[in-house]
Amino acid sequence: MTNTDSLKPAERGFVEFWRAADGHVLNGRDPGLAAARRSAIERFAEVGLPPEKSEAWKYTNIRRLVEAWAGTDPVAEGPDPGPVDGLFLVPGDAWRVVMVNGRFDEARSALAGLPSGVTVASIAEGASSRPEVFARSFGATRPEGADGFVALNTAFAQSGLFVHVPRGTQLGRPIEILFLSGSERRGFVQPRVLFVADEGSSARIVENWRSFGEGAVFTNAVSEFLVARDAAVDHVRIVDEHASSVHVHYLQARQLGSSTFSTVSFVFGGGTVRSDAYLLPDAEHCETHLNGFYFARGSAQVDNHTLVDHARPNCESNELYKGILDGQATGVFNGKVLVRQDAQKTNAYQSNKSVVLSETARMFSKPELEIYADDVKCSHGATTGRLDDDAFFYLRARGIPPAKARLLLLQAFSGDVFETVRDEALRERLLARLEALLYA
Amino acid sequence: MLEIKNLHARIEESGTEILKGIDLVIRPGEVHAIMGPNGSGKSTLASVLAGREGYEVTDGSVTFDRKDLLELEPDERAREGLFLAFQYPVELPGVSMSNFLRQAVNSVRAHRGEDELSSVDFLRTMKEKAAYVQLDPSLKQRSVNEGFSGGEKKRNEIFQMAMLEPRLAILDETDSGLDIDALRIVADGVNRLRSRDRSFLVITHYQRLLNYIVPDFVHVLVGGRIVKSGGRELALHLEEQGYDWIREEAVGA
Amino acid sequence: MSTTGTDFLQQVADSDYKYGFVTDIDADTAPKGLTEDTVRLISSKRNEPDWMLEWRLKAFRHFQSLQASDAYPGWAHLRYEIPDFQDISYYSAPNRKPKYESIDEVDPKLIDTFNRLGIPLHEQKLLAGVAVDVVMDSVSVATTFKEELARHGVIFCSFGEAIERHPDLVRRYMGSVVPYTDNFYAALNSAVFSDGSFCYIPAGVRCPMELSTYFRINEAGTGQFERTLIIAEEGSYVSYLEGCTAPKRDENQLHAAVVEIYAHKSAEVKYSTVQNWYPGDADGRGGVFNFVTKRGLCAGDDAKISWTQLETGSAVTWKYPSVILKGDRSVGEFYSVAFTKGRQQADTGTKMIHLGRDTRSTIISKGISAGRSQNAYRGLVRVNKGAENARNFSQCDSMLLGDRCGAHTFPYLEINNPTAQVEHEATTSKVGEDQIFYCQQRGISEQDAIKLIVNGFCKEILAKLPMEFAVEAQKLLAIELEGSVG
Repeated sequence: MTNTDSLKPAERGFVEFWRAADGHVLNGRDPGLAAARRSAIERFAEVGLPPEKSEAWKYTNIRRLVEAWAGTDPVAEGPDPGPVDGLFLVPGDAWRVVMVNGRFDEARSALAGLPSGVTVASIAEGASSRPEVFARSFGATRPEGADGFVALNTAFAQSGLFVHVPRGTQLGRPIEILFLSGSERRGFVQPRVLFVADEGSSARIVENWRSFGEGAVFTNAVSEFLVARDAAVDHVRIVDEHASSVHVHYLQARQLGSSTFSTVSFVFGGGTVRSDAYLLPDAEHCETHLNGFYFARGSAQVDNHTLVDHARPNCESNELYKGILDGQATGVFNGKVLVRQDAQKTNAYQSNKSVVLSETARMFSKPELEIYADDVKCSHGATTGRLDDDAFFYLRARGIPPAKARLLLLQAFSGDVFETVRDEALRERLLARLEALLYA
Repeated sequence: MLEIKNLHARIEESGTEILKGIDLVIRPGEVHAIMGPNGSGKSTLASVLAGREGYEVTDGSVTFDRKDLLELEPDERAREGLFLAFQYPVELPGVSMSNFLRQAVNSVRAHRGEDELSSVDFLRTMKEKAAYVQLDPSLKQRSVNEGFSGGEKKRNEIFQMAMLEPRLAILDETDSGLDIDALRIVADGVNRLRSRDRSFLVITHYQRLLNYIVPDFVHVLVGGRIVKSGGRELALHLEEQGYDWIREEAVGA
Repeated sequence: MSTTGTDFLQQVADSDYKYGFVTDIDADTAPKGLTEDTVRLISSKRNEPDWMLEWRLKAFRHFQSLQASDAYPGWAHLRYEIPDFQDISYYSAPNRKPKYESIDEVDPKLIDTFNRLGIPLHEQKLLAGVAVDVVMDSVSVATTFKEELARHGVIFCSFGEAIERHPDLVRRYMGSVVPYTDNFYAALNSAVFSDGSFCYIPAGVRCPMELSTYFRINEAGTGQFERTLIIAEEGSYVSYLEGCTAPKRDENQLHAAVVEIYAHKSAEVKYSTVQNWYPGDADGRGGVFNFVTKRGLCAGDDAKISWTQLETGSAVTWKYPSVILKGDRSVGEFYSVAFTKGRQQADTGTKMIHLGRDTRSTIISKGISAGRSQNAYRGLVRVNKGAENARNFSQCDSMLLGDRCGAHTFPYLEINNPTAQVEHEATTSKVGEDQIFYCQQRGISEQDAIKLIVNGFCKEILAKLPMEFAVEAQKLLAIELEGSVG
């Protein structure tokens, strides 16, 4: 372990908390997990938090935000959230998992009737009950490594969630994971999800992120997805947290041959919401869909970073992010499509569109293409503007009141992202949430 | 002029055999029509003759004016006088028609040992030949096929044929997607170019085109083989009876 | 693509540089190294007034502070060894005589150099209607058509001459668009620049001819640090073109220029560049490091600044010709073709900063990469709070010739005003096999087909160049593509 004297205060604080908690709070029975934690804290000490002027954090001063949580115990358990029934989003039949401050709450979860062989457990439990799956999967989604936040999460990941869908198993119902984060004053939570879909399996996952309690919570979450050959995973992620929250999230997905991974994220609420999606179609004939919708108002900031890393030939990716910014909100989109030299015959599309409603809202968009293979079709586009005046006038000329006309146009603008949610009932719930936000 | 013997060809990527032994002789001045149902190998034949990548000849030979056609690069075939009117003409953004055709015409002329056309002569010829198919002379400023309507693209193919004066022209479903007026214009253009030493291979699904471009011979291609040959009347018969009777006959034989 | 196509692309990738000769001319070259004394030496060699020296020294101190704080601009998509700033000579003048009264005094060898480059210096032989300023290594050696221009009140001369004869204009405008604090290389240039071109168009004057500067690096181990300053008064118009070449050298040569354009109300400046510095050999040895800061300010309402560039040379290119749209209804344009081959690296694009109301900008960038080169577009469109109704349209297309090169697009769109409409589109593709086949079927060889298609890809940009140079530019591109010598 490195000497902590050379570290900056923010990093030093985490390393010291880790040392204090190692061995008792951060126990777990699995030696592999313990080793992964130890090397992660070392890596964190080495790379640290993103430096102030780093390109990846150009518009979000994350170091300042982390410093505001200085001294907050990152292993504290936090208060009880109380009843959770009204918080689920997926109507009808679904398996339900409740995570409280990053810890798997088995008592509140409803997992009866899972097909045999499917594991839904805490990470520590998964590591011991499915050691072979854990060993090949944990931390295996991003070969080149992400920034310090992922290392920090790995070092502190407590309990977390481990889902394993064995070969050929089709999960007929979605799994909704309700992530509740709350504290009395300040909380720092680091939920971790490891999701492994083996060959030929299929699954639908809904992540539902909510706040409770009065305190402000900093979330540093990591969700890893391994999608094996011929598997299909459909993932929806909704962040609807308190305006005082800071939410940093890493989605990392690695796909093998002929698999499909679809993910769509919705940001409806939160103080600062930073999402980092890293998608690696790591074998031929993968299909990747990456979509997102963001709504921000007040002084909220939504920062979406995506990287589709085409490393193999004959894959296809589609990416569409759309957002609406009001008040003094700030939107950031930085999407990169990377096509490596071997990834011939890649088809990759990326688009980012934003509507700015107020004089004081801002949007920073940076769609990037980085291409090293010649036989590819790649394109990207970005537009930012306000609502179309002509269309607005047209609706009003048909007798539609301004607020309703605005809503109609904004719904029309956002529609294609919501369309990517395949579960119709869930889509209706999300559209209703959008309407409530826009009408407010 | 063109002699195809026992030609077998398959798609390189999938290995699917499409042409399964074609024999065909075209003499100077003759117009041959090849008809056949979808998927019979008509367009593959055109592609193989023109030298498009993605096909592999597995057996047989093709000689063109006593040269082994299959040994030649696509541009060498064109310079030898083989012209393909594409079923789906390709767009070349930013490449003007005049620049494109000047390079094409001059490379063909150079191959024949002729001098380059002067700018004045070239533009005059362009104007004259464009009139064959009623193309607007302003097309010389436009990018090749870019923003052309379907009918314009097909007329443009015939116009290019007129400019390049080939010995053998292959028309690959030139009639597809054309209304009757456009079809007539295209056919008139082709008929003006018929001559004693220029031959045509007209590939079509319908006999409609052959009302306007009257062939000397009609061949029916089914399953990668020519299953029947005859005169003009064969086309009319096909129009009435469809392809089924031929298929049956072929199976029966 | 068939083997012949691959061979051709190989040739493109390896093609030779046609302007790579060295002219054997006596030069007055300062010893290598950069200290305050170097700055003083340059200033005194050029008999500059004190205010100029003071400005240089301020810039030099800023440069030193940037060096001390490791503020090197390392963010670009480029890999190269940072130049050793102590291993460069910062001043080299052909011949001992710093200025020429007439063209007849110019060393005949130098005239021969420019004839070989296709730039005859004798006025009677000049391209009709183009005034040329020639900058060799660091010093302006000849400016043509001066009298003719003077009749219209247009000042077109070397930067040194402008310091001497038009000090008020220089003091007022120098650094007003690109301050020496702007960036690392702008600071370096401001400290050590040796010469460059100066151009002033009075109010209401439409400059009667194209103005043109040709830059040539000749001496080994020297850097070229020229400055160009263009001032367009109210309602004036000028079209300006620069061309650049350098000899083949095994070591890298540094070119760090600054171009400033100041456009007053309703003025229009069109600035075109044909950049063909030595790109280095096929293995990436030698070649020019082209680190240039170019910026225009639309200071007045209805002003317009348009950048057009054809970039085919340099081992490493780092440049972003930009426009600050301060005046209401002002217009900024950027049209670029960047062709890289061999081991060349380019990170180039633009910045459009919208400050005024109803401002408009257009960006069209075409990148073509061959060989083992890396070609990146990097552009910023920023709409500030007060910039009501700003409009931007950007289009960045890349074409890849071969499978060992890279094409990248890094646009930054920063929108701080809801009335803005900003649109960005980009595509990356290769020359289509069906397109090549179509051309071949018309008798055109595969090589010619690729040239034809690449030229078509760039056409709308080349058409923006002034007529006299559009043809030249097209030829240059064809030569670059062909890979043949001469």
